[in-house]
Formats: sequence, structure tokens, C-alpha cells
Amino acid sequence: MEAVSLRNAAMQSRLDFRSRVLEHLLVTESQVGLPDSDATFVRAAQRGDTEAFGQLYRRYARMVHGILLGRVRHVEVEDLVQEVFLRALPRVRELRDASRFGSWLAAIARNLAIDYYRRSQTRPGRTDDAFDPDEQPAKSNLSSSGDAVEILDCIRILPEAYRETLILRLVEGMTGPEISARTGLSPGSVRVNLHRGMHQLRRKLAHRELRNVSNSKNRTMV
Amino acid sequence: MSEQYKKQAEYNEYLWDGSGEPDAEIQCLEQALEEFRATSLVPPAFPRVDFGPRLSYWWLAIASNTWVPRFAAAILVLAAFTSALVFSLRESTPPRSNNGWSVELTEAQPDSSGMGDKPKRKIQMQIGEVLETNRTSTANIAVADIGRLELEPMTRLRLLQSTAGRKRIALDRGTIHVAIWAPPGEFVVDTPSSVVVDLGCMYTLNIEESGNGFLRTTLGWVGFQSNGYESFIPAGAAAATYAESGPGLPFFEDASQQFRSAVAQFDSTKAGSAQRGAAEQVILRQARLRDGLTLWHLLSRVSEVDRRAVYERLSALIPPPVGTTREGILRLDRSMLDSWWNALELGDIGLWRHWERSWTGHEAQQK
Repeated sequence: MEAVSLRNAAMQSRLDFRSRVLEHLLVTESQVGLPDSDATFVRAAQRGDTEAFGQLYRRYARMVHGILLGRVRHVEVEDLVQEVFLRALPRVRELRDASRFGSWLAAIARNLAIDYYRRSQTRPGRTDDAFDPDEQPAKSNLSSSGDAVEILDCIRILPEAYRETLILRLVEGMTGPEISARTGLSPGSVRVNLHRGMHQLRRKLAHRELRNVSNSKNRTMV
Repeated sequence: MSEQYKKQAEYNEYLWDGSGEPDAEIQCLEQALEEFRATSLVPPAFPRVDFGPRLSYWWLAIASNTWVPRFAAAILVLAAFTSALVFSLRESTPPRSNNGWSVELTEAQPDSSGMGDKPKRKIQMQIGEVLETNRTSTANIAVADIGRLELEPMTRLRLLQSTAGRKRIALDRGTIHVAIWAPPGEFVVDTPSSVVVDLGCMYTLNIEESGNGFLRTTLGWVGFQSNGYESFIPAGAAAATYAESGPGLPFFEDASQQFRSAVAQFDSTKAGSAQRGAAEQVILRQARLRDGLTLWHLLSRVSEVDRRAVYERLSALIPPPVGTTREGILRLDRSMLDSWWNALELGDIGLWRHWERSWTGHEAQQK
């Protein structure tokens, strides 16, 4: 009886170990991605394989989402992510170096954000919907909690390199190595961008906090 | 507060890849911003794209014939071999490594009126080589792919190292204008009196024949190191360096004339002398809020007795951050001094400490 329970326990432990290994492999594959398999999917997509392009979507949608979120209103981002991929699909054949898919896609996303901003500026009866990185950003999502919007606004006014890297890390939950693998930036650059961006973000948040405190004091006095 | 800066100083591993000790502030930000995260990673139904046949080009059709490429490859090999033979028989030129920097020398015309184009000459500078400008020439150097150097007339520099993580030159005399966009700590200049480390910036460095020098920062900040002394010079500030004593006190150039003269007197006189004591008094009396820069450096350069007065003056201008004690500062506790530096908001000292560790390792390797 005891021998049976010991055997069962041993088997359970082996199963646990196996599932942990599988889980680890899945996480590694999904989070960091393997450049070789990316290149395989890119080449397949270049031959017209839409399934392969779908795989690339799963791997790069988070990066595209992050890049767009730094530039346009949150509520528009999901639609624009799809538009980026729809723009990329017919042009993927022109990409000569399959390993540069990430940086190529990021460039398309940035261009689309610029187009979106121009469109919204020329739209008749335009209200200040779009986010202009050079201006103080408008409060974008009324349904979001105030703190989160404030923090996102602070990130959006950082220089572009810091803004993108920080959004990918803090919003999209990507790690530094993953950001580097996806965007094509060197790990050193990502590390520096994260560090300096975080430093600037801390200062901006502290500044806003001070301003809010002084505003609330003023209100109390009134 | 001091914990926060310590974390920053060590290139927060949690920020990098989520490993290491969790950073409560970053976790807070992650939680707050989670609501903006991409919710759907399921691809839409992509339309089928007909790219057309790929092998429809005439040249691809030729290439698909196996004999043609083989014949073409044989011709190419033959051509390469012939060219190599021809080049090897020509007058040999010194071997070039791919670590060299490209230099554009500009010579002024002896009788020029200052109008028109000056003649320019392009050369490649290799490791170990010396570049010297004369009274009428200047030079422009592309520092690998990380920045630019401009040499004024009568400048002499040597290229010591150009590897992926480090570019190093020695400035023997003259003036250089530096603009670097590499990560902090990658570009280093040896001078006769100190080592100058770029921390993400633009600056001008002048070294005299005597080995004394002067550095002025335009953007970012620069670190000076020698004889165990360190000086950090942020944008708008300057500092002298002395052949005998190393880096001097940095000061903002908009400080009063009296203040600047006192700094110069402090730097150039001996410790314990009456002139130095008088200079110290003027520095303490004249210091404005932003002259905390000079006072912070002064802390580690005066006797323990004088340090108390410096501490009082600096803490009156910029209160020491939480976790920093008077006793700790008076015994020059490095982490407390670092915290106080960060409170000046002139640059993150973590970048410097990071560089210092890599530099110590590098020096040990050289030995």
C-alpha cells in the first residue's frame, strides 16, 4: 500500500516537473521569441501564407500596441494595431532581411500614428482628440482611472526613445531582452532607455504630485 | 529615499527583466498601467494576398539553371584572385584595421583671406597613431559611430582604444570639442592630470603644455577622475584640472566673479594654507542654491574640522535626503554622499558608479 502511494507520488512529481518545463518553454517562446522562427514565419508570409502572418501578429501585436499607445488615444489603439498589420501584409514581400521584421513593423506603426494624427488635425470640426507628442497630452480615456491616465500622460511627454521603451516595459509587460528582440534595438540601448526614461518619469511624477498638492491647497483656501 | 537611489544606481535589474529584488514603485506603475495593455492578441482574418509567381523574372530563370551560376562563380573567383594578385604587387600601404576612425583635416591657405573653401584631406586614424594639428589646421574626427571630435589648431591626441564598449584617446595638449551620443561611460579621454569620462554629453576640453587643463560642459555631464578625486561637471559648469593635484572643484559659470576666483585659489593652493582657508570661506559665503554643486565636491576635499561648516552650508541650501546622516557625511560615507548628489538633480551618480566598476575591471585586465 505504502509502495503504491510512493510510486504515485514519484509519478506526480515527474508530471509536475514535465509540466513546469513545458510551461517554461512556452513562456520563453511567447515572451522572448526565437529570431529564427520569426524569420521562418516572415519568409512563409512572403510566400502568401496568411497563417504565418497570423503568427507574426501574435508575436508582435503587443509591440505595435505599445508604440501606438505612446502616440494616439488609447481607445483608437486596438483598431490601429490591426491597420498596421493590414498595411504591412501586402508589403511584406519587399522586406529583404527577414530578421529585421520587428524594426520594419515598428516603422510602419510610427508612420501610421503620424498619418492618424494628421488626419485628425485636418478632419472638419475636429476636437482635440489626437495626442500630439510635442504638446501637453489631452486626457484621453475618461473610463480609465485618473492615476493611470496621469502616469500615461507623463510617459507620453518623454522623449520618443524613452517613451516607447517604457510603455513596452510598464504597460505591455515586456522584459528588456524581449523589447530588444522585438524592436531590433541593442540590449544596451534598451537598458539605457529604460534607466534614463524611468529617471525622467520619476521626476515628472514628483513634479505633478507637488502641483496637485499645491492646487488642492489653493482650493481649500478658496 | 536613499534606498530608491541605491536601486537606481545599480541599473535596476527588476526594471530590466523583472528579476532581482522587486521594486515597489515600478510594481505600482505596472499595476496602474495594466488597464492600457493590449487585450486581444488574436489575429484578424487577413485577406489573401496574391503576390504572383516569384520565379517569373528572366534572370531567375537563368539562375535556376545549375550550370550558369557555377560558371559565373568560377569567373568571379578568377577575377577576385587576379585583383588580389594585382593589389599585392602594387606599392604596399600600411595595414589598416577596421577599428580606425576617419579624420577630415582642414588646412587654412597661407595667404587666404578667410573666403572660399579651405582644402580638406581625409585620412584614417589607427590605434596607437598620433594626430597633431599645426597653427593653421583643424581636424574633424568621426568617433566610430558614437560621436564627433573637433580638434583646434596646435592640438595633439593619440588613439588608444576603439572597441565595441570603449573608445579611448589621450589628449596631450590643445583643445577638443566633443559630442558623444553613446551610452554613458563609453568615451574616455586620458589627460596628463586626469581621466575624463563622458556621461552622455557635449563638452570642450583644453590641456596646456604644463598638463593643467580646463573643461566646460555644454550638454549632459562629464566625470573627471584622478588621484582618488572625482569631479562631476554638469551642463553650464566647468572645472580645472591640475598636473599635480588632479581635478579641481567644479563650478557653474554664472557664479559671481568672487566665487569663481575663490574656487581657482582653493584648487591651486596647498591644503592647510591660509590662502586656501580664506578661499574656502568665500566659497561658503557666496554659494547660491545651484552652487551646491561646488559645496558637494568641497565636502571631500577639506579637513574634518572644516567639513562641518561645509555640511551646514550645503544642508541649508539643499537638505540632505532621508537616510543621510550628519555623521555619515562627515566620515564621507560613499552611499550617503551619492544620495545627496542625486538630490542635487544634476545627473544620476549610478551611471558613474557603473562606469567606475567597469573601468576598475578594465584597468585590472590591462595590468
